[in-house]
Amino acid sequence: MASLITCPHCGTRPKEEFSIRGAAAPKRPSPTAKDEVWHAYVYVRDNPKGRYQEYWHHIAGCRRFLVVERDNLTHEVFGVTDASEFKWAGAAE
Amino acid sequence: MSINLLHRHVLEDHISGFETDPNPNHLSIIRRAVIFTVLAHAGQEAAVAEALWNAPDVAPRFCSPSEWLAVSRTVGAETVAGMLSEIAGASVVDQSDGRVLMEISGPSVRKILAKCVAIDLHPEVFEEGHSAAILCCHAEVNVARTGADTFEIIVPRSLAGSVFEELMEMGREHALTRGFVD
Repeated sequence: MASLITCPHCGTRPKEEFSIRGAAAPKRPSPTAKDEVWHAYVYVRDNPKGRYQEYWHHIAGCRRFLVVERDNLTHEVFGVTDASEFKWAGAAE
Repeated sequence: MSINLLHRHVLEDHISGFETDPNPNHLSIIRRAVIFTVLAHAGQEAAVAEALWNAPDVAPRFCSPSEWLAVSRTVGAETVAGMLSEIAGASVVDQSDGRVLMEISGPSVRKILAKCVAIDLHPEVFEEGHSAAILCCHAEVNVARTGADTFEIIVPRSLAGSVFEELMEMGREHALTRGFVD
């Protein structure tokens, strides 16, 4: 696992300061979406190998949600962004 | 004071207490520190930060892009509350009873803190006045440099006991002493 994460607010910190909150790519369905859509969003998740976007919560530091883009095979970290500022690939809205 | 080691029992310190006079490396617990949380409303972050950094008698500590701690050891809680409530676009909460302020100082302070804090404490990187919200002894604390060899640590009240014990343990090889300061 990537052991040093450079938080955009706090600087480089060890992974122990963070809590990993799961994949960041799945898009949250609308509240009125069908149960099947919600079931797929909540329970049916990919387990990809390689480059991967993940929510990391900096609980022991600035307490902001970050999007960490990393390779879960080589442990390389490509970028860390505050979740509120993250630009989703192909996001229309 | 010379100690005759021949007549000094190995458990002497354990029975009568370890040194109580401050050594060069000393951990002070500030009894009546005033600590406020300052939260900026959305969009007001820069203005609140500027006002807080210009406020007299309080030392600002960085927690997150929209949250700071304001620490004072000289003026009372009412004065600080009055002053901080004048900052537009900020919410202010008195945390004096919820946080414990410790000050660790001495020539070995960086060696002691390096055992529990995962940031570079070199004065060129972590300058005087800098502060960081960080994991220290498994607790979320705020560490700030207040002097060349002086650091302030703000610990949540319920974790203060364990952080204190761990700091004393890590300072043991450097003969860290401790005491209250008013």
